[in-house]
Amino acid sequence: MNACSVSTRHHAASLLICLFVIAPVLAVTEPPPAAALDQQGPRSSDQTDPRQMKFPPVALNPPEPERLVLENGMVVYLLEDHELPLVTVSATIRTGGWMDPSDKVGLAALTGHTMRTGGTQRTAAADLDQELERLAMMMSVSIGVESGVAMLDVLKKDLDRGLALFADVLRRPAFDPARVELAKLQARESIRRRNDQPQSVASREFAKLLYGPSHPFARETSMESIGRVTREDLIGFHAATFHPNGILLGITGDFDKATVLNTLLELFGDWTPGQVPRMTPPAIESADSRQVRFVGKPISQTHLRAGHLSIKETDPDYPALVLVNDILGGGSFRSRLFQDVRTKQGLAYSISSVLRGGIYERGVWGMRTETKTASTQQVIATLVANLERLREQPVTDAELEEAKEAFVNSFIFSFASPASIVNRRLQLEYDGLPKDFLQQLRDKVMKLTKEDLLRVARDQLHPERLKILAVGPSDTARVLAGFGEVKEIKLDPEG
Amino acid sequence: MTYQASQAILMLIISLLVFGSDLQADPGGPSAPGLADRVIKHTLANGLTVLLVERHQSPIVSINLTFGVGGINEHNGATGLAHLYEHMAFKGTRTLGTKDYAREQPLLEELDRIQHEIEQTRERLRADGQEEASSPALKQLRQRFAEAQERAGQFVVGNELAMLYQRHGGVGLNASTGKDVTRYTVSLPANRLPLWAAVESDRMGSPVFREFYKERDVVLEERRLRTDDSPNGLLYEAFAAAAFEAHPYGFPTIGWASDIQSLTPAVTEAFFSTYYGPANAVIAMVGDINPTDVIALIERTFGNIPAMTPPPRVVTVEPPQRGERRVEVEFDAEPVLLLGYHKPALGHPDDFVFDVMDSILSEGQTSRLYQRLVREKRLVTTVDTQTSFPGAQAPNLFVMSAVPLAPHTTREIEEAITEELERLKAEPVEAAELEKVLNNLDAELLRSLRSNSGLASQLAYFQTVAKDWRYVLTARERIAAVTPADIQRVAAQYLTRNNRTVATLVKPIAGSKKPASLRHTSSTQMNPRTP
Repeated sequence: MNACSVSTRHHAASLLICLFVIAPVLAVTEPPPAAALDQQGPRSSDQTDPRQMKFPPVALNPPEPERLVLENGMVVYLLEDHELPLVTVSATIRTGGWMDPSDKVGLAALTGHTMRTGGTQRTAAADLDQELERLAMMMSVSIGVESGVAMLDVLKKDLDRGLALFADVLRRPAFDPARVELAKLQARESIRRRNDQPQSVASREFAKLLYGPSHPFARETSMESIGRVTREDLIGFHAATFHPNGILLGITGDFDKATVLNTLLELFGDWTPGQVPRMTPPAIESADSRQVRFVGKPISQTHLRAGHLSIKETDPDYPALVLVNDILGGGSFRSRLFQDVRTKQGLAYSISSVLRGGIYERGVWGMRTETKTASTQQVIATLVANLERLREQPVTDAELEEAKEAFVNSFIFSFASPASIVNRRLQLEYDGLPKDFLQQLRDKVMKLTKEDLLRVARDQLHPERLKILAVGPSDTARVLAGFGEVKEIKLDPEG
Repeated sequence: MTYQASQAILMLIISLLVFGSDLQADPGGPSAPGLADRVIKHTLANGLTVLLVERHQSPIVSINLTFGVGGINEHNGATGLAHLYEHMAFKGTRTLGTKDYAREQPLLEELDRIQHEIEQTRERLRADGQEEASSPALKQLRQRFAEAQERAGQFVVGNELAMLYQRHGGVGLNASTGKDVTRYTVSLPANRLPLWAAVESDRMGSPVFREFYKERDVVLEERRLRTDDSPNGLLYEAFAAAAFEAHPYGFPTIGWASDIQSLTPAVTEAFFSTYYGPANAVIAMVGDINPTDVIALIERTFGNIPAMTPPPRVVTVEPPQRGERRVEVEFDAEPVLLLGYHKPALGHPDDFVFDVMDSILSEGQTSRLYQRLVREKRLVTTVDTQTSFPGAQAPNLFVMSAVPLAPHTTREIEEAITEELERLKAEPVEAAELEKVLNNLDAELLRSLRSNSGLASQLAYFQTVAKDWRYVLTARERIAAVTPADIQRVAAQYLTRNNRTVATLVKPIAGSKKPASLRHTSSTQMNPRTP
């Protein structure tokens, strides 16, 4: 947890502004193969110059969660941790907004929201709220495009009651009509407000440019689509996509394995398996050529996005592309874009490049920043120049070494807590990746050479296919012209 | 909460109070290791305070280095200084971030001299009523400045300090500036502490302000992003400025744009010398550590930093508010409402009552404001309260924020909130509500122990602002002791019309002039100021 990415409740202590904005996580950071580090030389030294200090790798012995499958197909991961009298439960569910009918975009998200707020067939909505909050339980359900997630965090003494409520929410949501109506009002209000912040406009329009506006990974809710969703639709979506054989459950904390298994059998054992949806995203409808788009907004900076579709995490080029992106803009302070645009030129506060490897569909690679209108042209030119340089010249030995060391030495943080260990395993299984995917990735990364990176940069990064999106004041459109034919996107005044 | 969450950048860090020492008494489970027994405190001869907690789950450690300095220590004309210094702290030292400091130093001094000449020239031109663009002298100076910057840049090893941490596996490397505190954070594999101690003691002892003018431009971009182009950023800025007429809590932490443009290395250096002494700093470290070894390491490194004169205290006291204040911010965005009431500082007996009211009014979906405004009346999508805005150390504000559900107006919402506040005065709260507050507080405390960095943050924060990390323990007892009568009394005393500031975000009124802040101001056109 970092002070700049966390906010908890209670007693506002101070309003902090941070040195830099935490960039969206692209590739997971990874631990070290002991062998690769052993050649690093002497044991820890007490030299006083931090640049000369060497340390042995720290031991990586994360505890191994136990994996069980109930008869109805529900997968359960258990990892006991008795440090504090708390238990955390998380469920990943094979559902998602990718199944929303095109005239009812928002259905899945509304279903998740109202599963939690709408009560259960055994506990009325208001009673559920009261009980959860009286016992200081935290419970949430949300359904994103590719999956659903439900969470429970509970004091050890309330574990049985917490699990019972959690099971009811997953199996028997009541979708209280007043709560459904309120959720729809809130969804419509958020549509009304989604163009208020330029970064929100930039992210959404960029996704549409990459995947096409009607693709599930980019499409948006509308006043109409929310309006069409009925309570019966929510009930139907839940019934169709929530099945025990489509749920991966993880439990960590202060519990006894045998006892909790019995409880799980009581709560979920009689749930009949069903037809679990298999994610099959439709074909992407977008051009492979360069496209430049502009959205007018009366602000002082231009918000820039430049990138294109990329590869899946299982692609053989993925490890090298992780490192290429890290050197380009993923590695914050150390990355070329940060050094060039922010440190050397003082033209931006937040700048990075992001690689999100795809699972079910091609992933995305892109660069993002904001700069004042007057320096917009210079910044785009710098982004493009850095991209081209990566394809023309190999990275330096020092850059490769820095990137590998950072990767391998921070690997331990991927296994920092029992909950993070279990959640990672849930995610890997959900995505159909091997349980040692991260370790494999690390080992591949450590073997990469400058030549590998150059080849992959040439094969996987394409200046001629860049989709460039700018949100900014009207005079920005003019400076974009040097990068391709500019088309303006008009925002819907309704949001 | 959701309201703050919607502010993409400006992060509200709400430190929670209290690690209930009576958590061990919880009948539900084995005793939670009591925080009171786990914190080891050590103070160096130069005044530096160290707080250590051993936690051996994983071979990692989180470190929070907090200085008792922030926007509260700033003055008109130099707002944003604490934050700019925080950025400069990443530029290195006499050894880090440079290829050859002996050769770099004269170039940095030359840069400052040219910059000074530029300012003087601009001042003269202004006095003579001449255009800057038509001055060959100024053009020549700027050319010299660019060349000198280029030469100085040849000695720079960009971001070396941060890169060292990254290379050694550091994560969560960041820093933040608030009203009361400035904080430097990192988490590392536990055996890298010698590296951390070498780097941090060096930058506490001898920072060098290289790349100053570029970093100042970075901060100006940051201001545009966080404030000028952000409806919420602008609203909070105007709100604080209206609520505080005298006290520095009224300044934006990022600084007014014209002030940022005028900050100099000399002013920044003076700020560092005044406020970054070891006695004004707290190191909190949580993780896989051996306290004896860590204390020896810190003595060996930070122990060499000389003690400094205590910084001057903030003398300005906000005078009592005599009448409601209302401000509007025009922006092309949907409406938002803020209501703020002046209240006492951290540690005042009434402050604990506000903690309870905060929870009763807005914590969770069964809270009073959520129930009434979201669920029953459907006036807003979200409503929240926060105590201690924008800081805690000095008297501050109790704030309510609300996001209206169209077509309801901020005026309707203001009335509905006021009704709830009047209810706090008129009727005693129920025992069940108080019980819920305490249950959630205790659970929250317990949950905060799960994270090394979260715990380090709490300890360093309260050691800095309350001068004792144990505040987290005593505050829980003070909160538990709050009675329904206390709430009625405090509500009646502070939640009054003449003590409040109301800020609203409104659509630009047709025909109104485009605000100057939307016009591009180049950071190279700096206003002269005397340090």
